[in-house]
Amino acid sequence: MANTDLYEYPPELREEFEATEAIQFRDGSSATAADVWHFMTEIAPKRYPFAYTQKKYAGVRLSRDIHLPSAIKNHYLLLTMNDRITKSRENGAPVIFVQGGQSVDPYYAAGGIALRPASVGLWARGRHEGLGLNEEVVRQHKQKEKAYHAISFEACQTAGYENIQEGGLPIDMVAPFTCLRCSDISYGVEAHRHGPNKAVKLMNIDYPMRHQADKKWAVEYFAQNLRRLTNEIGKLAGRDVTDDDLSKEIRLHNEGRRLAIETAELWWSADLPPTNGVDRRSLYQMGGMEVHGDPSASLTVLRESHAYIKERVKKGIKAEGVVDKPIRLFVCGSCVFPNDFRIEEAGAIIVGQDNHWSDISTLVEEDGDPYQNLAHAILSYPYEQSVELRAAWTIEQLKKSRADGVLFLYQWGCNTQSAIARMLCDTIKRDTGIPTMIIEQHEGGSEQSEQLLNRVNAFIEML
Amino acid sequence: MPIKTLEVIRKRLEDRPAELNKLRENGQKVVGWTGYNVPEEIIHALGFIPIRIAIGGDDRLVEVGGRYASSKNCVFIREIVGAFSENEDPYIQQTDILAFDATCLQNFRAAEVIEYYFKKDVIVLGVPRNFYWEEGKEYFGKEADEFTRLLEERAGVSLDLTKLGESVALYNDIRKTLKSIYSFQAAKDNVISWVEVFDLIQAGDLLDKKEYLALLHQTLAELQALQHNPVIEVDGNDARIFISGSLIPRGDRKLINIITSVGGRIVGDDIWTGILPHLDLDIKEISPAGVALAYLNRTPHAALPYLDLESDRRLKKLHELLAEFKAQGVIYHTLRYCDPFTFKAKETKDVLAKSAIPVLEIHTEYAGSDYEALRTRLEAFVEMIKIKAESAAEVTV
Amino acid sequence: MSLKRNFFAGVDVGSLAAKAVILEDGKVFATGLVPSGFDSVESGLNALNLALETAGLKKEDLTYIVGTGYGRVSAPYANKAVTEITCHAKGANFLHPTVRTIIDMGGQDCKAIRIDEDGAVVDFAMNDKCAAGTGRFLEVMAGVFKVKLEDLGALSLSATELVPMSSTCTVFAESETISLVARGEKPANILNGIHHAIANRISGLFARVGITSDVFFSGGVAKNNGMKTAIEEALKVTIVKPEIDPQLIGALGAAVLARNFSKKEGLWS
Repeated sequence: MANTDLYEYPPELREEFEATEAIQFRDGSSATAADVWHFMTEIAPKRYPFAYTQKKYAGVRLSRDIHLPSAIKNHYLLLTMNDRITKSRENGAPVIFVQGGQSVDPYYAAGGIALRPASVGLWARGRHEGLGLNEEVVRQHKQKEKAYHAISFEACQTAGYENIQEGGLPIDMVAPFTCLRCSDISYGVEAHRHGPNKAVKLMNIDYPMRHQADKKWAVEYFAQNLRRLTNEIGKLAGRDVTDDDLSKEIRLHNEGRRLAIETAELWWSADLPPTNGVDRRSLYQMGGMEVHGDPSASLTVLRESHAYIKERVKKGIKAEGVVDKPIRLFVCGSCVFPNDFRIEEAGAIIVGQDNHWSDISTLVEEDGDPYQNLAHAILSYPYEQSVELRAAWTIEQLKKSRADGVLFLYQWGCNTQSAIARMLCDTIKRDTGIPTMIIEQHEGGSEQSEQLLNRVNAFIEML
Repeated sequence: MPIKTLEVIRKRLEDRPAELNKLRENGQKVVGWTGYNVPEEIIHALGFIPIRIAIGGDDRLVEVGGRYASSKNCVFIREIVGAFSENEDPYIQQTDILAFDATCLQNFRAAEVIEYYFKKDVIVLGVPRNFYWEEGKEYFGKEADEFTRLLEERAGVSLDLTKLGESVALYNDIRKTLKSIYSFQAAKDNVISWVEVFDLIQAGDLLDKKEYLALLHQTLAELQALQHNPVIEVDGNDARIFISGSLIPRGDRKLINIITSVGGRIVGDDIWTGILPHLDLDIKEISPAGVALAYLNRTPHAALPYLDLESDRRLKKLHELLAEFKAQGVIYHTLRYCDPFTFKAKETKDVLAKSAIPVLEIHTEYAGSDYEALRTRLEAFVEMIKIKAESAAEVTV
Repeated sequence: MSLKRNFFAGVDVGSLAAKAVILEDGKVFATGLVPSGFDSVESGLNALNLALETAGLKKEDLTYIVGTGYGRVSAPYANKAVTEITCHAKGANFLHPTVRTIIDMGGQDCKAIRIDEDGAVVDFAMNDKCAAGTGRFLEVMAGVFKVKLEDLGALSLSATELVPMSSTCTVFAESETISLVARGEKPANILNGIHHAIANRISGLFARVGITSDVFFSGGVAKNNGMKTAIEEALKVTIVKPEIDPQLIGALGAAVLARNFSKKEGLWS
């Protein structure tokens, strides 16, 4: 008997969907739209029932904008993370834990697979099949608690400790950019040294602070960090990494970044929102090409989606479930975002976020020394500059996205974004008059408390 | 018998804010600094008066600071921000320029918050996380040059290397003398307590350096007269406690008071406001980079990650100090949201367990609300050490 | 040979209850348990008087009294004060000599204690300001569900599902619980989630001190079977069945110490 609590894609959509493009993977293989449809309608509901929840309060649900192929393909790539990464690793690609909000060009240039914390969580999640939503969240909590026991319950970022040290996830290397947006990450990397998994290599890619992009020696130092990084990954992958490898990867990733910027500009220019908030975020995110653990796959889905968005904007097509003139919210801060479904029910929509967008929207110079170019671009991420510079960039995004209000969210225990929150919001208010609201999220898991959502809703009502 | 010079120092500290005010009226500038790797000698050699900004223990200021930074920043940082907001601390009032470093990233953020809200002139020294790499050291050397350049701009003079050499010699003498004094507190039949030495160390953060050195020499002479040959050994009645972990700044006496009130005897520390920063600082080259590198090469601050447990110099130093001062137990003290130390608490406990050294973790903040809860833990820990020592003695007998 | 009977008392004044145990040589002779009031001296005396009354003794009949718990700092009736950590160790060892690990969950704190074969503390860890796993926390939860504190455990054991709870901070857990109630989750399932979340957080203390069998669960919360089950699951251990009310273990340990101290001081032989 079918589980009526789970969402089912409408069968009548099949033909339309199967006519869309195949996903091309980095190893040369591909998944046709028919493969994707089969997996998402026949296999995944059994292996990963939690993803098909229809619970009203769950923040992570399948997008209901079923005519947007990227929505289904994005979920497909997320739900096949374990299958794909396990296979790639067996074929010799080392897997590296990285930080969110950083580019991943050098990791792939050296033959590795870079997974940010959320993606590592997705890989780990994929190894536990048949769980309903509550069971999956309980599993995650229990796992995270193990990291808190080994590190501290005040830790926000545990650098994947719960999965890599306690969960047996075969990550080969932990090598994030440190100091970037989060002060916990370098301690999280360090914590791995006392975990049971001694095989995992540890490295901090040291992000210098304070006017970093203007200091030649800081750029040079970061470029040296990147060289060491590609060298170490190359050793794991069993290959020499040339400058040309990095140049090629930068060009590939620049294509993703450019597409994301163009997609965002199209989205922002539309009178009616062409997608819902969940799909918008995943589209922008694909430009960073790190979210699925396969840049080629992200890029093919993004290319196809870009054409759909262009068409929708041209024809004035509004995404299903979004009101005509929603209140437009821009989210600042890191690692957390409010429940898009509840926000849209309240008559608003999230139009952008500074987190991740900072690195995705930073293009890398393609001529010259690729390490220097990449280092300079990375040290120029607007999110990582002084508060005045970060605010100036944020204001530019607010204007482009025509945001009505700013929500600054940070996770409980986040030392860095919490310390910046007031300064950034005060500057935005001072320079634009746009209302801002700061919220600390205490909960993990699939649901946010009514207390948090009440505040967001009151803010929307005020706007 | 009380050490007379300590009384002189207490009196000089009382007079110091007014004295600073006068010096500033006569054109001298005070640089308030904070950060484990700030090379103070450079500040001194440029003719500034260095004052360390390290205050704690005031929950009201923590609350005020949290309004500008956040309640998720460590209480020390929040208190510093709160102190700049209130501007009532007699030393903070006297600061003209601030010099922060990025060893601890919360310290770095505090610099930004103070600059933003209180319009202070702030210089920040970048610090590498990969501090043991040659590339990291080179980066830090360049940061030290830039730090010096920014200070020179404000001093209106270039750094004179001869003066830097003189400052280095002065500071080296201070460090050497402090180390000699420190061994007296841990001795059997000690004539000076750890708390007194701790206060003496912190007096150096505020007093004129030349005068401070003279007072240290005077203290040492007094100690040598009272106790010719200090011998560090375990006395049956003591529970010899070593304090590790987060800093304990001026004004924060909660933990120290409880330890002593429940019968523990503190005999050593490796905290940032204690003896540790004064140990193993070997300046090989008289230049900004040379001085800065010597700071970086000391036992590193916990905010700088060490990715290999076996070669961790912090743990090695901790073991050395525990052995030197014959400690019987470690209080691993962490302040709320002080991640560099909090994240390593369990690991430190596990490492020391291999050497059969008991560790008590104390996680606290400046509010007095946990006083009784801390007292219970500390009293039980002291009981445990004493019972263990008694049983060992019985077995020996 | 002296024919005089020797009685020793331990008085444990905690934040929610005051307990007293009177020991005669190797046996528990009488006990007393009363709610703690504002005056910790009075609370301790009330518990002691109740035990004395049950035993048919007068205070003067007691050879030695040890005070423990948060009230130990002001216990003029006691000959000596000892922390409850040391007392729980002694008390558990007295009852069950094979016990090597103690979980104590009292009114305002939670302790993980490892002991040796003599009942001496080898290591211990306690929760910090976070109230997770304390009687006070569960009292707040009982208030949210409008049930009696003693019924919480049974209600949680009647759950059909485990609702995930991400917060174990009293304040945040209360608001999270209210959200879940508002969303129609069943109280028993929420409570099941709460008990498991607490047990997982508490097991962190054992990551600090280690865990060796046998395991004993003491303190007022030890009477909550839902919590006992959740802890057994989280720590993968079996908790030994207590021979007396587990809330009395601290007072019992204090009485054992009273016996030892008085012997050492030559008050009896």
